[in-house]
Amino acid sequence: MAGRERLTRASHSGLPEWLGRPGPSAYHRLNPLTKATLATVTAVAAVALGGLVGPALLVIGAVLIPAVAAGVLGRLLRLSLLLALPIAISAFLVNLFFFPGGRTELLRIGPIVATAEGLGFALEILARILAISGAVTLFYLTTRPSDLVLDLERRGVSPRIGFVANASVQAVPAMVERAVQITAAQRARGLDTEGSPLRRARGILPIVGPVILGSIAEVEERTMALEARAFGRPGRRTLLWAPHDTAAEGVVRWLLLAGLLVLVVARLAGVGP
Amino acid sequence: MPELEARGLVHVYRDSGVRALDGVDLRVAPGERVAIIGQNGSGKTTLVRHLNGLLRPTEGRVTIGGEDASGMTVAQLASRVGLVFQDPDRQIFSSSVTAEVEFGPRNLGRRGERLRASVARALVAAGLADDGEANPYDLGGSRRKLLALASVLAMETDVLVLDEPTTGQDARGVERVREVVEEVTTEGRTVIAISHDMRFVAETFRRVVVMREGRIVLDGTPDEAFAHESWETLSSTYLEPTLAARIGHRLGLGPTPTDEGLIAALAARGRTAQ
Repeated sequence: MAGRERLTRASHSGLPEWLGRPGPSAYHRLNPLTKATLATVTAVAAVALGGLVGPALLVIGAVLIPAVAAGVLGRLLRLSLLLALPIAISAFLVNLFFFPGGRTELLRIGPIVATAEGLGFALEILARILAISGAVTLFYLTTRPSDLVLDLERRGVSPRIGFVANASVQAVPAMVERAVQITAAQRARGLDTEGSPLRRARGILPIVGPVILGSIAEVEERTMALEARAFGRPGRRTLLWAPHDTAAEGVVRWLLLAGLLVLVVARLAGVGP
Repeated sequence: MPELEARGLVHVYRDSGVRALDGVDLRVAPGERVAIIGQNGSGKTTLVRHLNGLLRPTEGRVTIGGEDASGMTVAQLASRVGLVFQDPDRQIFSSSVTAEVEFGPRNLGRRGERLRASVARALVAAGLADDGEANPYDLGGSRRKLLALASVLAMETDVLVLDEPTTGQDARGVERVREVVEEVTTEGRTVIAISHDMRFVAETFRRVVVMREGRIVLDGTPDEAFAHESWETLSSTYLEPTLAARIGHRLGLGPTPTDEGLIAALAARGRTAQ
């Protein structure tokens, strides 16, 4: 309730409209740090758990069900598969065909043999990769980077660290847009990006050069603009708005971290499957 | 030299759903000097990007010399329509001015003496003849912009399209761009420029096209475009007539979009008074 009141105040106090705008679902409206903790715990737990069942349950319980609740299942599947597919496919094939100690032959292609042991291990790796990419994607789809930065600043994290985190996330779409414009400018000078793979490869330098140089120049200019507005001033900032948070969410975050710690210690001690 | 024609051109951006062009009809004869003006977001850049295939129409078509542009790749169209982008830093990548200017004509397959001659001509036209060995990033903003112009000039296309060529230019740079436009059209080639610099438009171009919300709302000579009767149309797209046009109107001298026109009208009035 306190959070809702804060949100209402923010939207009527003359602050920018995006500040304090509530998310479209209950999952979106969770505190950014809660969502970040969930994503981290899911990713680390998927590695620590081992086996197939644990990571698979994590994918279902910590990724797919929340994604359905947040209404982002379609985008999550598309994006996380796009992210994970190259690694997942190569890891799956390598483990399927080259698993050391595999004895139960499933398939033979010339000298290469796929084994049942290799298949089992490949599926385990696949489940872990999907859990990690799904957890990260779910966080990305349901959290505005600026909200996380504000929340971290509220908790005493240096604005510089927050800015670096936020700028890194925001730099990706900005660089994509820059690359699109640069590609258009070079194509207008006859660069053939529609021909054979060799022609396309030759077109990389004229695009990558200005993208990188432009990005470096932009970072330098942005830094000077920030310093000109007293960004480097020491001391705490006065925040105009802070993301919604509750005591219950705080408890959940600590429980999740404690659970993860127990799991990691147990695994290190050799307990579990 | 080819005639350019856009017929019933509509462009809807797929990502945003914005209808940037809403039925544009435009015919540009060979050797014409055309300025396209209008507020930001009126569709000027979207329109010119159709001329070299960077954007494809949602509806309508673009023809170059009677040929439908939809059947040509951007690389093919680039040999006929050169487009200079607003921001030179979005295209410069070479370590020397000469190498940067060579990039376009090389892509068009030019080599040897023909390449050297095109590059030399372009460097002279842009006032960069002495900077051939310089690193582009050592040039100031105004000269980098001229370098971008030279790099497209060297392609010797039948049509030259300039997007905001005077933005960020000092007075010498603006004069240089004006000279290039005049030189190119003297050779019978076509120049189309997008600009917010009304003085440059009035003094350099013979035809002014005004755009608003993806449509052409005025198309005429600078005298017509900056005449008092057009001020309401200009104002509707957040443009102002030139200072010379406003002074001329205040003094009852008729359309005087350029400084020279204003001086000539004042001199004529002086002679009549005597």
